[in-house]
Formats: sequence, structure tokens, C-alpha cells
Amino acid sequence: MTNLPRDISHEKNLSEIILEVENLRVSIETIDKRVEVLRGVNLKLKRGEVTAIVGESGSGKTTLAQAIIGVLDTPPVFIESGQIFFDGIKIFPYNEKINFRGQGINMVFQEPLVSLNPVYTIRKQLEESIEVQGLHMKKKEIEEELSKILSDLMIRDVDRVLNSYPHQLSGGMRQRVAIAMAMIQRPKLLILDEPTTGLDLIVQRKIIQLLLKLKKEFGTTLLIITHDLAVAANMADRMYVMYAGKIVESGTKDQVIKDPLHPYSKMLRDSVPSGYKDSGPLRVTEGNPPDISHLPSGCAFHPRCPLAMEICRKEEPTKKVIEDREVLCWLYDGKQNT
Amino acid sequence: MMGNKILEVKDLEVKFPVRSKFLAPNEEKFKIVIEKVSFSITEGETFGVVGETGSGKSTIARTLVGINYPSAGEIYLMGRKINFNKKSDLIFLRRNVGIIFQDPVGSLNPKLRIFDIILEGLNFEEKYTKEEKRDKVYAVAKKVGLNESKLFSYPTELSGGEKQRVSLARAIISPKKILILDEPTSSLDVSIQAQILNLLQNLKEELNLTYIFITHDFNVIKYMCDRLGVLYYGRMLEISEVKDAYENPLHPYTKDLMNANITIEGNSGFESETELGEPVRNGCIYLNSCRFKMDICNRDPPMIELNSRLVKCWLYDKSQKEDYIKVKGSN
Repeated sequence: MTNLPRDISHEKNLSEIILEVENLRVSIETIDKRVEVLRGVNLKLKRGEVTAIVGESGSGKTTLAQAIIGVLDTPPVFIESGQIFFDGIKIFPYNEKINFRGQGINMVFQEPLVSLNPVYTIRKQLEESIEVQGLHMKKKEIEEELSKILSDLMIRDVDRVLNSYPHQLSGGMRQRVAIAMAMIQRPKLLILDEPTTGLDLIVQRKIIQLLLKLKKEFGTTLLIITHDLAVAANMADRMYVMYAGKIVESGTKDQVIKDPLHPYSKMLRDSVPSGYKDSGPLRVTEGNPPDISHLPSGCAFHPRCPLAMEICRKEEPTKKVIEDREVLCWLYDGKQNT
Repeated sequence: MMGNKILEVKDLEVKFPVRSKFLAPNEEKFKIVIEKVSFSITEGETFGVVGETGSGKSTIARTLVGINYPSAGEIYLMGRKINFNKKSDLIFLRRNVGIIFQDPVGSLNPKLRIFDIILEGLNFEEKYTKEEKRDKVYAVAKKVGLNESKLFSYPTELSGGEKQRVSLARAIISPKKILILDEPTSSLDVSIQAQILNLLQNLKEELNLTYIFITHDFNVIKYMCDRLGVLYYGRMLEISEVKDAYENPLHPYTKDLMNANITIEGNSGFESETELGEPVRNGCIYLNSCRFKMDICNRDPPMIELNSRLVKCWLYDKSQKEDYIKVKGSN
């Protein structure tokens, strides 16, 4: 990878931040109009940290991940504007000469059965991801590498797994293979889209442990996209909450979960049942996530917001910085630090 | 409120034929999905059934409304033994037991309008006139919080939460005693899930329903249920009060599940060491994954009663008392 000069005008610690997304706007072209899916997203990932993006379906989490790694379906999905920097290099707008995928950014997609090739064995597919690194390893070395990574992933019968085809494996095993395939390239940043959705409890716990172990061992930065607050709470250092294509709140995990600022984050947290039967009804307001092609005026959350004010219906809130956290809500107007 | 046994299931067994052209002579022609499951449900309670993929949760649900027929065992509904080959018994069963399926898309007919879908719930009731039926649909739609304007749209125009409300309306439009909820919220977003859970709690009080709640989400079970049964590859391993099961799980599998459960408070601090092995058919089913296995575990344990809880594990057999003390100490 070549080191290109970095052209961010404002000052920041270059080495600490591994990925920076600035004002990213993505839209989908439909028959009659363009629908904005991401409406100005800013993201900063610190090296070696686990960052989680939480939000409900349709909030644009997966689109954001796909935009970062550059696998959006264009057309109909277009990046309208914005910049993405990875490790100090501008990776969007795309430059053909910069190969940031693989050892730079790697991604594990939501459906492992879809992202694995059904006609090749797991061995063949894992070998391929070693070969693309261009290390020219000997066959024996490759074999050792494979069994090491698989036993790291707590797969006991390595040989059976290596010789199977994707459909012969269980969901948890496939997910582990997909993670192995990404980890084998030792990426600096690993994006995981819903890594544990649809997995059983014990397997889910295993995958979480494993990812945290890998992070510790290789210093990989993790970006986790999930709708499950419990997964985020157990893995993340920092959390971003997305609603209708915008990041409405960001902060450390404890800040967002224990003391959420945005009414939507509060509602998300209160929606997850945690007590016994006698703990009273869950505090949640009626209403559905908005249809992204017919967004309400002003703040997109105002029809469901218990604290909505007059201004929320008219104007979109601007980003407020409170201490070290950011929130997109009119409630905190005038309370931000200067 | 509590008291009468409304539903009793004794030694229920469900098996499915294995369809293969290449069956070897000694190969089993049936796959046993539910194996000797017994439980009883008292009126007014919420009984949770938890288990992982393939444990047979949905098969139990489908058997209790007569979609699958049991191959052995007995089911008593309000004291009446259900003979699955008798039409009048099946009608009795379906009149009193409603079901809501996991997949709201698959359970609604895409060619019917919502009004007609809800009306289907009255198919068995012949005593109502057309007007009465219409009024009933409007009333039940209001009860489940479904907007009247949605009644004349088609299922594809509805969101996931609304579809689940429609399923619920169809199930309760004729009075039911028991409602089986088969993963009613697992395809929904958390905030919508919370709305549906609140609605279910309200309806239960309003209509004096008994719920059988099937899910793999332990936080939901804890919030919704009075008692729970833990299912593993078709066998019921433990039945106890929810509070007991969370604070002092008995069966090693329940222990592993409780350890693995992650909550919003962030509790993944310690490592779960469970390695799930293959199920064992002719011994204790959890043998290959169990941390406390003993020699005797090669034999299938009976359901052992322990302080009004039921557990299918040799650890709690009186003759194995020494091991029991050891386990209690290590926990």
C-alpha cells in the first residue's frame, strides 16, 4: 500500500484513528426519485477498539458497512458525497491504485451461506484467501496455518471441516469459517455485519468470546453492525446509534447504554426486557420505524418521540457535542460545550 | 387465579418419516423429533418453552393444535382426552387453542385482504350473522391496536409488527382458552418487539388467556413467563419456575444456557466453556456436552422431582447424592 499525502485540514491524531468517514451520503435510485439512505454520516474508529453500530432494520447500518468497503450495488445505490479515510489514506472517492481490501479492511457478511462458494470445499476457499496475500507459502505451511486458525476458532475436528462443503456445516460453524477466512489475512480493520444473528445462544457466546480474543491477540480493530443491543453491550468500546440514515448518538458503551441522551437510544434500551414478569410493562411508544422514502419533516424520530417539541417537527436537529459525546437532538440545544 | 390444569401432555412422541430412496435395511425409517415429553399447564399461567434450533419447540406447538399428529402419548385439554383421529376432538382442540406462528409473512394469505384474514378465525362459528362478524372484526382490530384503515389492505402493505397484530387478531377473534405463541417476536425489531410483548401482557389479563410461549430469547422468556421448560433435541430436560431457573438452574444444560445468555448490562466477563457435542440417543441426551458426566449417564435418566421442580439428570438422583453435593459446591 502506498502512503498518499493526507488532506484533512483540521488537526487530529493521525495514528490513533484508523477509519474516518466524513459526511457520507448514499442514495438509491428508484423509478421516480432518489431516496437518501445515508444522510450525512460521520464515523471515527480508534485503532484497536471495538465499535458497534446499532439500529433497527432500514436504518442504513449495512449500507454504511458496504460503502466503507466499497461493495455497494452501483447502480442503483450511489455514494453522493463524502470522504472515507483508512489509515491516513483516502479510499473514497475510489482510487484504483490503492488496494485496501483484504489485509486492510475485511468484512464478514451477514449470511455466511451466501458469502461462501457452494461448489468448493472450505479448504480450497481458505487456501485461496492465503494465496491472494502473495506470500508464496509452501503447501505444508499453508496447512499449518489453516489448522492453527481453525483451532483458534475452537473448531475441534479441523479435518472434517476443511474437507466439507459449506452446506454440510451448521450455521455456527459456517460463521466461524467466514470469520476465519477474514482473519487469516490479518486485516487491520474487520467489519462484521450481524455476526451472531440467527445463531443459538451458546454458539453466539462462543463467537463473541472468539472475536474479543482475536482482537486482543492481533490488535484488529472491529466494527460490528448489529440490531441486538445485548451483543453491542458485551463487545463494544464505543457505540453509534443510527436512525433513518443518520447517527443520532455516539459515545462510549457505558454512556450510551447506561445514560443515553437521545430519546431513541433510551427507547431502544427500554425495549429490551431485562426483568422478571412483575417488572411492569416495557416503556416503548407506539409507531414504526419510518419509511425512508417518506421521511417526516424535521427530526425523523419526532412522530415516535415522547419528548417532541414544536421545533422538532419543523427543523432537523444539528449535531451537539456534550463533553466527549455527540447527539443529534433539539433537547440539548444550548447545552453543548463551547 | 391459578389452579386447574387446563392442558396436560403425557409422554408425547412425534416422529417424522425419513424419505429417502436409499434406505439401508437396518436404517431407521422414522426420525423421532419429540421424545416422551410430559408437562402440564395450569389455567392463567404463561409457560415458556426454550430450546435451540432443532430442539422441537415448533413441533410441540404444531402438535398441540393438531397440525402434526403425535405417534404416541396423550394430550388432555380441560380434562378431555384428544383423539387425533376424531374430527370432533380436533375441532374442540382448535376452538380452544390458538396459535401464532413465527413468520408473519408465511402465515397470512397474500391474496386476501386483512379483513378477510381476520374473518377466517370465525370460520368454525356458524351462529353469527354477517353484520355481527363485521363488528367483531372491527372490535378485535381495535383490541390488538391495528389501525382500521389497514383492514382493507393486503399483507404485503403491512409492516412486520402489524402483520403479527393481524395474526393475533385472527387467533383471538373467537374466544380461546390457550394461545400458543411460536417465536412471535423474533423477526421484529426490538422496539416493535416491546410493543407486541406489552400487547400480549394486556390481552392475557383482559381475555383470561393461558399462554404457551416458545422462544430462544432468554430475556423475553424471563420477562414473559411464570414457568419454563427446557427442551434439547426433543427431550424436556428441566421444568421449573422462571425465577428458580435463572437464579439456580439445575440441569447442566440449563446452567450452560444461563451462562451463555448475554444481557444488556454486559456480562460476558467470564468464559463459557461449553463445547456442544452430538446428542446421544440411548443415554442422557446431553452426555457429550456435559461437564458433570458420570458413568451412570450412559443410561437415560428419569424425570426427578426436586422441590416441586422437575429435572432429567442423574445428578439429582438420591443414590448419586455425593456427586450432587460436589456439584453444588462447585457452583
